Amino acid sequence: MIHIAKRLIEFMLFLLLLSFISFIFIKLAPGDPVKQMLHVDEVSVTKEQIEALRDELKFNEPLYIQYWYWLKRFFEFDLGHSYITKQPVLSELLSRFPATITLTCASLIVMILISVPLGTLSALYKNKWVDHMSRLFALVGSSIPSFWLGLLFIELFAVKLGILPSMGKGTAKHIILPSLTLGIAMSAVYVRLLRSSLLEGLNEDYVKAARARGISEKRIFLFHVFRRSLIPVITIFGMSLGSLISGTVVIEVLFAYPGIGKMVVDAIIRRDYPVIQGYVLFITILIVMINIFVDICYRYLNPEIRLKGVERR
Amino acid sequence: MSLLTVHQLYIYFRNKPIVKNIDFTVRHGEWFSLIGESGSGKSITASAIGGLLPKEMLIAAGHILFDYKDITHLSNKEFQKIRGKEISYVFQDYQSSFTPFIKIGKQLDEMIQAHCSLTKKERREIAFQALEDVQLPAKRVYDSYPFQLSGGQLQRASIAMAIMLKPKLLIADEPTTALDSITAAHVLEVIANIKEKINCAILFITHDLRMARKYSNTIAVMKQGKIVEVGTKESVIYHPSHPYTKRLLSAVPTIKRITSPTKRDLILQ
Repeated sequence: MIHIAKRLIEFMLFLLLLSFISFIFIKLAPGDPVKQMLHVDEVSVTKEQIEALRDELKFNEPLYIQYWYWLKRFFEFDLGHSYITKQPVLSELLSRFPATITLTCASLIVMILISVPLGTLSALYKNKWVDHMSRLFALVGSSIPSFWLGLLFIELFAVKLGILPSMGKGTAKHIILPSLTLGIAMSAVYVRLLRSSLLEGLNEDYVKAARARGISEKRIFLFHVFRRSLIPVITIFGMSLGSLISGTVVIEVLFAYPGIGKMVVDAIIRRDYPVIQGYVLFITILIVMINIFVDICYRYLNPEIRLKGVERR
Repeated sequence: MSLLTVHQLYIYFRNKPIVKNIDFTVRHGEWFSLIGESGSGKSITASAIGGLLPKEMLIAAGHILFDYKDITHLSNKEFQKIRGKEISYVFQDYQSSFTPFIKIGKQLDEMIQAHCSLTKKERREIAFQALEDVQLPAKRVYDSYPFQLSGGQLQRASIAMAIMLKPKLLIADEPTTALDSITAAHVLEVIANIKEKINCAILFITHDLRMARKYSNTIAVMKQGKIVEVGTKESVIYHPSHPYTKRLLSAVPTIKRITSPTKRDLILQ
């Protein structure tokens, strides 16, 4: 319990610091949303009108005062309203979030479906043709930028063959190309990681001991090698969550997929400050939550961590 | 009556012989010690008997007969049936005798399941009996992870696992080397008790003559891949014929030699 409470306090402080830094950075970027809000391109507006709106949004106050206003509302669970759509930021985020989660999960499934069999086979058949193929796949997969891969897929499946939609969401078909693109880009690393981790596991002395007991090779692999080999894979996964999130941003923009990634890119272009700030906080909370989950996985995979407090008996 | 016969065995590692023309016989219920310095090929020989040679090594010539069957070139599947049930191993590195993240009980259970079809309750009884045979608190060890036990306890647990299915031959590959001398003596005693109880033969591999002296019936001395001398304990220890055995014997520190002044000490005085 103390452990959890400590982590929670740490997390709150971290969130505070992060929100401050992101607030400052957003404001430091040149431009503001005022002209967009007044539709300068379509109607003529006076200088006074612009200044009045700036005052109303408190853009003329010092930055720390502006931050203070934001923080006060944040503690009332109010992330403000979007300057452009006038909708509450929180409800905007929540309405867009399921689409992103669907995309992320589908990509993870693609990643697991590729990297687990390929990593396993290339460990079992080290330096055979499967291994060479997987090495090539990893090399190509990690060198190709995901947006380019996405474009290739669109060209092939949507334009040439016309069997899959290239943009938007709605049916299960819409999720295939985005998740395939992201999943392949991610799995490149994990194929090799799992392979080396499995090879290390197969060379352990306790594997030899299990053989000496007459345990079958299949059982040794599944119960004595594979489980332990997931530890480094999960570690790297926990650390690369950031790139997964930014990966979804690229993919969502490319496939015009209405998730929160697409939303934040639009918000950045329009300097829609509350939405950007809300996105940053939302993602931070998400990453911390997944990290706690990774922590729990760890404890399951390695009982030594779980029982560390227990004295040697 | 011979249980294990190794006949003119050659083992090659990348086209170089590392075990050359080895001959020895282990009789039923006998304690057979194979002594030699590190790199003399004794552990390789032990691995070869159970078909546990690393991929780069192969048996180039010779035969291994176990229980009147030629097991020299069995397939891995056939070896799986023998290993753990008829021939079992205890290794030097007790930390690696068990998979670190699986409870000891589960690993004992897994091994019984691999060799016999018994109910859960029967399997548990066998495991508990084996742990008690090596003087461990059965229930606690059964429910422990390997890292929760001390070195001596872990080595005894691995002996329990090795003898659980009453093998005919127990190959103990330097089982005491990584232990302190008091724990080592205890582990030796445990092995000796078990041997009496289940009446198995023991192939005891060590580089330490002191470990072989107490319980052995027969001693073979190995050097650079060859057996240079083999005989009863008495003949090898008290009447060594090969110069290497003599050197090995003289290297064992005895209380007498430590306390009595040497020639050099006398001269210095």
